[in-house]
Amino acid sequence: MLEKIILLLCCSCAVAQHLCTPDASDGYKVRLSIKTALEGQAYEWNENEMFLFRATLAFAMRNHIREQKFEVSNIIVCNETPRVSFWFVVTSPESTSVLIGKEDVEEAVRKSRNRINSAFLLTDKTLEFIGILPTLAAPVDPDTPPWLIVFGVVMGIVGAGIILLLVSSVVQKKRKNEMTDDEENCEETRVKTVENGSVGEGVYNMSFSDDERFTQM
Amino acid sequence: MEKDARPSWDNPTQFVLACVSYAVGLGNVWRFPYLCQSHGGGGFLIPYLLMLVLEGVPLFYLELAIGQKMRSGSIRAWSNISPYLGGLGLASVVTSLYLCLYYNIINAWSFWYLFHSFQSVLPWSVCPINSNRTGPIEECEKASSTQYFFYRETLNISPTIEENGGIHMGQALCFVLAWLITYLFVVRGVKSTGKVVYFTATFPYVVLVIYLIRGITLHGAANGIKYMFTPKMEELANISTWINAATQIFFSLGLGFGSLVAFASYNQYNNNFERQAIIVSFINSGTSIFASIVTFAIYGFKATVNYENCLERTRVLLMNTFDLAEDSISMDNVFDWIEKLNATHPLQFAQIADKYDDCNLESELDTAVEGTGLAFIVYSEAIKNMPLSQLWSVLYFIMLLLLGMGSMLGNVTAIITPLRDFKMLSHMSNELFNGLVCLFCMLLGLGFTTPPGNYWFTMFNDYGATFSLLFIVLIEVITVSYIYGIRRFEKDIEDMIGHRPNWYWKTMWVVVSPVLLIALFIFYIINYTMGGTPTYQAWDKELGKSVVTEYPVFGQVFIGLLLVSSVSCVPLTALYVFCRKRKHGSRRKPELVSMVSA
Repeated sequence: MLEKIILLLCCSCAVAQHLCTPDASDGYKVRLSIKTALEGQAYEWNENEMFLFRATLAFAMRNHIREQKFEVSNIIVCNETPRVSFWFVVTSPESTSVLIGKEDVEEAVRKSRNRINSAFLLTDKTLEFIGILPTLAAPVDPDTPPWLIVFGVVMGIVGAGIILLLVSSVVQKKRKNEMTDDEENCEETRVKTVENGSVGEGVYNMSFSDDERFTQM
Repeated sequence: MEKDARPSWDNPTQFVLACVSYAVGLGNVWRFPYLCQSHGGGGFLIPYLLMLVLEGVPLFYLELAIGQKMRSGSIRAWSNISPYLGGLGLASVVTSLYLCLYYNIINAWSFWYLFHSFQSVLPWSVCPINSNRTGPIEECEKASSTQYFFYRETLNISPTIEENGGIHMGQALCFVLAWLITYLFVVRGVKSTGKVVYFTATFPYVVLVIYLIRGITLHGAANGIKYMFTPKMEELANISTWINAATQIFFSLGLGFGSLVAFASYNQYNNNFERQAIIVSFINSGTSIFASIVTFAIYGFKATVNYENCLERTRVLLMNTFDLAEDSISMDNVFDWIEKLNATHPLQFAQIADKYDDCNLESELDTAVEGTGLAFIVYSEAIKNMPLSQLWSVLYFIMLLLLGMGSMLGNVTAIITPLRDFKMLSHMSNELFNGLVCLFCMLLGLGFTTPPGNYWFTMFNDYGATFSLLFIVLIEVITVSYIYGIRRFEKDIEDMIGHRPNWYWKTMWVVVSPVLLIALFIFYIINYTMGGTPTYQAWDKELGKSVVTEYPVFGQVFIGLLLVSSVSCVPLTALYVFCRKRKHGSRRKPELVSMVSA
């Protein structure tokens, strides 16, 4: 009797192990980078950590499929490497030879990703489920882009400066006009020099230039 | 009555600072380091300094002398020298107009980057997430986040020059701001420009010094500086080294635009511009060398960071593929592990061969970039890796803005001064006239804010000013030396500063500079005709990098127009004056006879 029970157990174990293989159709590869994440405070990966992983995953499966009660024994792990990476598959609590489908496992992991990460003090980057892309945080979209605010400030200052300069020059002109009106009344008799627009010196008259061709005696 | 006397600088320092502010521009920061690197590092200084002495300083002196003597903008100044050469001034004005149209867009980009630096995370340091929130946007992943930010978010660039689109609103706003600030600086002419240059000429040096200190203390900076200054003397045998040195000196000093003539025209008649010319030219070249030290420290830092990131990526790839323990591979023994794994697991190694890229510090340093690519992509990539990156980003873009704005002052003055010499325009008030010029340039320049705007910008940058300037300055120096006469020119200078220019100046003006300029001119013509169809770098969205594309027909026609329109001013004006003189000459002859006989 005892031998039969042992045989049955061994068979079921073997069958269960048989379900978990690398590149299994319903399995996922997990990779942990503990030393990269925690550096000095990295913990050692051992059997207890693996137990925690299986328990967390069972928790995630329970959260996703509420009717079934997943146990730690439903999470089967294989192919552990020194990298700290391994494959896992999830069996159904009702019958240990049936695997839970890939999509369900993915959904479950996605839903509880945060909880799984924090159980191991890791992040989406350092605890990777190969094939399950993390949902990235939504970008923060402020109502007014910040650059527009700075732009508004600078534009305001520049605009104020221009208006100030223009107003002050208009005021100056008015004052000068009043003064020149007074002066013109006193200067009507003075002969005004012919002004050549804004060029004060006049055109350079070449016929009187110092051309040495003609002046060498 | 001094009512309409020519406005002038408050003191000679303002004039010197204005020239420095104009000459020291973006080219010192983004072109000289590139040339230095591609032509043998420290060895490039030899042709550079030689060309400075042979053509840079003499031509600079020449333009200042003309401006100070004639006391008018370039059109009237050259008409005074010879009535047939008024077209020379006109060509300068046209070239300056082209420059004004496209130069301010760089300031708009600097503003855009400056305003975006006021965020906790610099927007060009991370790729934005795509709509499914599964990962970064594809274009950003293929290129890099800094390239994506420049080409997509700043420019929203189209795949080719032919496609069109609406104006990029953010760009247009920054562009309008740039023109408003330009207007603010030139609104009262020399009076306002003179005060602004105290700041625009000196503050960039403050930033450069701060950056120098920051740069040389960065991790890996020594790699860059060593790489740049290792002289490769064999490059001196290459003719293009000498040609590039000559053109760099020439364009860096801003000769031929008419800005120097305009600035000098506001001087006191007896101002000692000889000393000032030497000072400004040497300051300009010194700044180039100084800026390239800073640039190469930054290059070295960026290359080292990229190299180390590459090593890290390779390390992770090896660890994940071969499932080795995390601390087995470190940064130092990555290459040993590669060899070991290649030997022991060749098949598996071959599988990841395409994902694995070669990490090479030399090739990272070799990626020499110039122009807007350097200023906006490479530098911002380096800045994002620095601690306190927002502060460094703000400082850097303020420096770029000051350099660009300082040059814009000269560009706009080069248009305003000659036009104000015309009688009908001189009656308008300063503010109104300057405002109209700025408005006109701004409206036309809005075209550069459209999706293909960057391609038009490159076209203007490459063809709008280069060839015409060589032509203009060549004609200038030949005119002064041979048509006007070097003796007369000497006497004018003696009249102004009290002593004649010595043999060095005269030799340069009469012999050396014209010969050099003719050589450059011929080289450019050969380059244009032998180069085949002109091409440009188009940004390919799918590949995430630039591809060389030929200009379409209308693009080539436009290039031709750009080249011809400014150069043709000289012969056309000469022809016009000749025809007018003949018409007037046939009318005036009887009067002359009567005067002589009386």
